[in-house]
Amino acid sequence: MIGILAGLLPLSLAAVPSDNGPQLSLAAVPSDNGPQLSPAAVPSDNGPALIRETLTNGMQVSILVDASQPLVATQLWYHVGTANESADNRGFAHLFEHLMFGGTKTHPKEEYAQLHHDAGGYENAYTSLDETVYVSLIVPAQHARVLELEADRMTSLALNEENLDNEKRIVIEELRLRSDNDPELRIFLAAQEAVLGDHPYAYSSQGFKEDVERASLAQARIFYKTYYQPRNAHLVIVGPVDGQAVLAQVRELFGKLPDRGERPAEVPPLLGHAYPREVIQLREDLPPVETAVLAFPLPVPGSADHWALEILAQLLGGSRVNPFEEDLVKTRRKAVYATSEWLNFRRGGVVVFAAAQLPYRRRATAFRFLDETLHTLGEFDWLSEEKVESAKRALRRRELERRYDANSQASAIGTAAWWQGDEMQAFESSAGLDAVSRGEVIRAWQRYIGEAEGIRVYLEPQKVPLYVRLFGWIYPLVTR
Amino acid sequence: MGCCGFALFSLTLVSMIVPAACAMELVTLERPDEGTTLFLVEDHRAALVSLILDFPAGSWSSWSDDHGGREAWRIQLFDKESRLRARADELSAELWLSAGARSSQLSLSCLKQDLPQALTLVRDLLEGRNFDRHQLRRWTREERLWWQAGQKRPATLRAAAAARRLYKAGDPRRRRWERPRKLERRVARLLQARDTIVRLRGRIIGFAGDLSPQEARELAKGLLPPAAETLPDGLAIDLPGSQVDSGPALDTEITLPGLNQVYLALTRESLCYEDEDWPAFLVADHVLAGHFYSRLYRALRHEGGDTYTAASSGRGSVETAPYSLETFTRVENAEVIEEKLRETLAVFSRKGITEAERRAAISHLEGARAFSRQSPGQILRRRIVEVRSGLEAGALDAQVEQAAALSLGEINAFIRAFYDRAHFMMIRVIPLAPSPAGR
Repeated sequence: MIGILAGLLPLSLAAVPSDNGPQLSLAAVPSDNGPQLSPAAVPSDNGPALIRETLTNGMQVSILVDASQPLVATQLWYHVGTANESADNRGFAHLFEHLMFGGTKTHPKEEYAQLHHDAGGYENAYTSLDETVYVSLIVPAQHARVLELEADRMTSLALNEENLDNEKRIVIEELRLRSDNDPELRIFLAAQEAVLGDHPYAYSSQGFKEDVERASLAQARIFYKTYYQPRNAHLVIVGPVDGQAVLAQVRELFGKLPDRGERPAEVPPLLGHAYPREVIQLREDLPPVETAVLAFPLPVPGSADHWALEILAQLLGGSRVNPFEEDLVKTRRKAVYATSEWLNFRRGGVVVFAAAQLPYRRRATAFRFLDETLHTLGEFDWLSEEKVESAKRALRRRELERRYDANSQASAIGTAAWWQGDEMQAFESSAGLDAVSRGEVIRAWQRYIGEAEGIRVYLEPQKVPLYVRLFGWIYPLVTR
Repeated sequence: MGCCGFALFSLTLVSMIVPAACAMELVTLERPDEGTTLFLVEDHRAALVSLILDFPAGSWSSWSDDHGGREAWRIQLFDKESRLRARADELSAELWLSAGARSSQLSLSCLKQDLPQALTLVRDLLEGRNFDRHQLRRWTREERLWWQAGQKRPATLRAAAAARRLYKAGDPRRRRWERPRKLERRVARLLQARDTIVRLRGRIIGFAGDLSPQEARELAKGLLPPAAETLPDGLAIDLPGSQVDSGPALDTEITLPGLNQVYLALTRESLCYEDEDWPAFLVADHVLAGHFYSRLYRALRHEGGDTYTAASSGRGSVETAPYSLETFTRVENAEVIEEKLRETLAVFSRKGITEAERRAAISHLEGARAFSRQSPGQILRRRIVEVRSGLEAGALDAQVEQAAALSLGEINAFIRAFYDRAHFMMIRVIPLAPSPAGR
């Protein structure tokens, strides 16, 4: 069925993390494989210019001067996320994100929000599997103040019981809203946990109510001192700023902070994790449609196959004609809906093929149809050199479209720096794409999908009315 | 303090000539014909062009209902062999067809170098006659499943209850919450409807991006068939008034199995653009429920952690909508939060806002306009919304200036009348039975 379910896949997965893995808890393991910056310098005369610097305390700074933007985007990336939580601490990274809006020793809790409000700006934050990011969009005249307040809350956050208790209650209401009271989200969170097992990506950023309730002020203080520090942070600024003046301000505000902070222990890659071999079957209070899901883990961003996989993702997930859907739904009519979703995280990706059918087929039959379609795709009669070139052009066009949006550019820089170790990857798709041939796209498919086992999940409604079953039996007869 | 690894890079990703901050303006070029308006927002930051074709046939019109206008518009992209969409992929172009409340729209975005071929594709699409009927059946099924899924969501049930209370059966503002009807599948009727839409007078061709006015004029020539002389009956949207006044007598309770929260909304009908109080409403709604430290957020989130969100929805636009002050909380806290919600509204109505709140709201509304001026496509779309709403150019931005001209006394007089609790009904979505243990 229907985008109802399949469309939610990325949503739930993107909001989810694990069990054993590296623990955020309180014993951090320093990492030595963080972003390495090149010392080269190329001045720019007329294009947006990227200024990059690593302060002596280890904090990364990227400033993209773009005079054409009306707003300045500021993103402060802390390289700690849900995947770094320990088994008894689910939801802590997200809870702490809330605490960061609680004011500091010298600034009341409303000040940061009020600054943005009065200027017509925007401020928010999000916690994902791999990072926690604080986002600001504001008119240039107020930008200096944003930096002051960000630097202030990196060192002087006011952590107290009253605020912690209040945010716990708020976070638990958010958790109930997102995880408990929506059947589709419930089943996808269950699927995520069942599929990923003890991988750190197995749980939602919302975490568990009991863990959130248990969170203490002492934990928060240690978490803050360990991870919310220059060595674990990347400040990204994009917009109509005087680059050198802003850099000087950043040095003044952040450069004087002590060199401390640790990277959480590295999360193991998705590729190579031991996944369940049997079909995971889950039931929920869903409309009368059953969905067979086949998922394949992918390598980390920046791997040798990175660009070939990006092209595959465009062809099978970003095109108007999706060969997977065409074969399964339109040509063979073996599903009422089919989709493929490509998800990327810092420690690997996942491609998800989902096919929905009315509830009359056997589970094994549904998976057989899925397998047949993937087999057909694996013969690559559908993939011409021209299609590969078109996919490359589509990816370049998307990169160009970011040019209109300071915040998107900041996200791309922050992601490239943290996930791939080089923010220039946010701007350099051309060389990588040019080098990919049709043969490499095919080899990437074979390596990660064609020759891989795949993870199988079957989603069912709890109740199917009899008339729906009857319709399901008649349906294939009348649609031949 | 200090630094290491300082680097400055020129980004050569695009042949970019960077203009000084945002001087993008929408210009209206001479009409390609009597029935067509041509807009251009010129922006040479990137070698990209967007095209919007907008036709004054909305899914809220009775004509669209009677002739299958909504599905006729969307199905054009789905020919039996998927050739049109395959051509869009070959051009690496984004191409969408959407049927909105007040207009039917085609949107295209592509690299500038592909624009001539992309426009040929658009012409072929608008003349296509090879509709895939199976796709209509799939959409019918999809819409019904979406609707069924919505019956398990508290927010959907709350919104549906509000619309049913306020509007008569058949009112488009209510129809979207009802079980979807079967889509028209007779190709001859769909073709007729599509051909009518494409020829409607009042249509808009809008370009945004890396084009000069001269290029836009040339490209617009022959893009559409000649406009028809007359408009069909039933095209104008005629919304009936609210079927009842809101108020406590209409309080409603909806049950849903398995919930561990209650969802509450104080609801009444909103205003609309043409209402003389609209500018005051903009300010009042913002102070009460429009930001992170609004009155509602303070009372229900920051001061007691009762909820995650407390905000307004359905503020209306060119037409009224069900306006709700909504929130949710754990079941055992339901009475507490309901009392706080009522009390916040009562105090707001009785005492109004302060001068500091008025100033901050105006400052916010003025500053936030920059968010709709980041890309040329945003500027173009905003103007098209104005046209379809019957507004002059710049009218949406001007609403803020009208709000800024109001005195505190004028705004508070409006608040006293509009936010009187007697005008609001309470809608509750509550669990059918106690929630499962452990949740």
